[in-house]
Amino acid sequence: MHMDTNSDRKVSELDKHLVEFAQLLRTVGIKISPSEIFDAAEGLSLIGLVDRDRVESVLQATMVKDVKHISAFRETFRAYFATLEQKEAWNKAAAQKADQWNEQIESTYQDLRFQDNELDITEEQRAVYASMPEDDKQRLRDFLEKSSNGTRGGMPLDHSYQPMVERVLRGSLEYWRRKLNEDEPILSPGSTNGILSEVERALRDREVEVISRDLKKISPEEWPEVVRLIRRLSQRLANQVTRRYRAARRRGGLDMRLTLRKNLRYGGVLIDRSYRSRRKGRLKIVLLCDISGSMLKYSEFIWQFVYGLSTVVNGIKTFAFGEMLVPLNQKFKKGQTFETMVKEALSMSGKEWGGGTNLANALEALHRHNSDVFSKQTLLLIVSDAQTLEGEKAAELLSWANRQVRKVLWLNTLPERRWSETPFVKAFLPFCQMYECYTLGHLTQILNKQF
Amino acid sequence: MTERRTLDLFEKELDAIGYITERDDRIALTAFLATELGKPLLISGPAGVGKTEIAKVLSQVLEAPLIRLQCYEGLDETKALYEWNYQRQLLKIQLGREHLQEADLFSADYLLPRPLLQALLSEKRCVLLIDEIDKTDSEFEAFLFELLGEFQVTIPEMGTIKAKERPMVVLTSNGERELSDGLKRRCIFLHIEPPSVNKEVRILRAKVPDLPERLALEVARAVNVLRERLSFNKTPSVSETMDWAKALLVMGKTGLDPAWVEATLTLLLKSQDDVELFYQEMGAEGLLFESGKMAQGERNAHGHQQR
Repeated sequence: MHMDTNSDRKVSELDKHLVEFAQLLRTVGIKISPSEIFDAAEGLSLIGLVDRDRVESVLQATMVKDVKHISAFRETFRAYFATLEQKEAWNKAAAQKADQWNEQIESTYQDLRFQDNELDITEEQRAVYASMPEDDKQRLRDFLEKSSNGTRGGMPLDHSYQPMVERVLRGSLEYWRRKLNEDEPILSPGSTNGILSEVERALRDREVEVISRDLKKISPEEWPEVVRLIRRLSQRLANQVTRRYRAARRRGGLDMRLTLRKNLRYGGVLIDRSYRSRRKGRLKIVLLCDISGSMLKYSEFIWQFVYGLSTVVNGIKTFAFGEMLVPLNQKFKKGQTFETMVKEALSMSGKEWGGGTNLANALEALHRHNSDVFSKQTLLLIVSDAQTLEGEKAAELLSWANRQVRKVLWLNTLPERRWSETPFVKAFLPFCQMYECYTLGHLTQILNKQF
Repeated sequence: MTERRTLDLFEKELDAIGYITERDDRIALTAFLATELGKPLLISGPAGVGKTEIAKVLSQVLEAPLIRLQCYEGLDETKALYEWNYQRQLLKIQLGREHLQEADLFSADYLLPRPLLQALLSEKRCVLLIDEIDKTDSEFEAFLFELLGEFQVTIPEMGTIKAKERPMVVLTSNGERELSDGLKRRCIFLHIEPPSVNKEVRILRAKVPDLPERLALEVARAVNVLRERLSFNKTPSVSETMDWAKALLVMGKTGLDPAWVEATLTLLLKSQDDVELFYQEMGAEGLLFESGKMAQGERNAHGHQQR
């Protein structure tokens, strides 16, 4: 394909850059296959490398196949094909940040000790400590020093007390993690690769867009737009009826193809006929919403989601649960809040609003009193952060529910990276499809995948 | 041997048939890439931005017939690829009871080619438009893999049929459902956004030659404001802008005024929710005010450039 060794060398240099660029794109979450890199190379050899805009267009057309990845692609292209000086400056800044970070973490090894022993805490917990105000750090150090030199019954404490001290320290650091940055991770500055950290910075800046912001942080003025988006998304659920034919003994149209083949042996007299019927595919949705204290911040989102669904899907059964199950049977009214509706339902059933979460109770109540809502056409949709009492029992009941229905879909408002810290998520996972869902972007993605 | 087409030549050909593109929209470059690399072109974007039009234009430029498959929920291979001609098969059975072999019945004579097979059997290169692929289900999408990757299909009774001339395949999607990675990997991807004010003015002037420039500009600005500022269930499409401009032209208008915006609004907004949203958030006067601000901004930018 290439005429001389000189151009071969040029192409291999280009290939190297393309592969490197593709790897960078993969790091920011864009899937790229080798065949797409090959297409990009072919495209570039066709269009040439003279015009930067055209090069960008070729790479975008061949490597990005999803609208939502275009902005990440553009930032990556800008950073990867920046001037050498610019790249050096980014590398320097990234290296500096990494050094600072390492120093801070290193200092925690000195600060956080029990009787001169290192403590067993995670890197993130060390990072939380490093980000705390100096006074509070001092308080923790004082606590460690006092417990190191403490006595019990006149005897000095020995190293067997270390796990207890670690537990206290972890609890305190967990409190600070929430206080400092809620659910956002306090993580290392990432790679020392300046280009990558520049792309990550640019993408973080873009997160101000409504679609990628945590739903509990959306202001009241933005809600109308969010509501419209949720409505549009819910519409898709309503359109979920499959009209493909399947083989059936009677009813529906004659399956000519099968009939003819079967009856060839009878000389074409249609004795043995085959039929096909439409698949009846409309899903019945049962919605189970967590209304406990930890979910309070998301109640507006849940309400809009429930309302949006109920306006487009007929016969949706909605239940709220905290410590107990509350059927929400009344019609959803425009302008009504989720809270008033739940309170009305509670007063009618003579129960009181509970603050805790018990999914096991909720599922058991469904099992005992409302098992008629479950069938092989049911989609059980759970909106909850999975922080519940009696998790093992809940997992067992969820396994039962999973056998009764077509699908259990769990929208978890807790970020996926926090799932491992929530005791029962692991137990629930085998019996449902769980997705993190705390931004509109997540909701869109889930509905795209599922429906 | 025919001369290989260059991008510049391709852009000139698009221009010659009256298809308006801009460098920023990347339509010409991406379509050119797909044509030259022999890959399917997957076009996404909101309804009414001209996705289907691209296939029609390509058919004109490449001088290739256009074969269209309109997708819908429940579309299956008997509607998209082929069906056996049962009436003929029955007749054949009745006529030749004694010596009939299965192969006699399942041959090309008894095949009714649907759009996909028509495209493969075509002697001349054609443009195959698979419109609104996101409306079909994932089974059908998977069924397309063989066609899009190898340009061949397998019919159980007959074997594999390869394309005589590789068709130029154009797929469009409104993004109602996420398409599978397998399908996307096989395609060159183009995302189209609604046109810029300038491009829309050029389209309006090309399609409605009698339209005065001032009215074209005001209409394009107003529609642009509507698309950018309000989140409608259905944003006004280019053809709706054109209808609006034509209606105003018929009424003898040379510019926009609030009363006429209100009177003709239903040509742009087609649902009660969208109309309510318009009056709630903006109103006709608000719309003209915002358009005026945009014109002022354009003038300032132009002034800066000149200085």
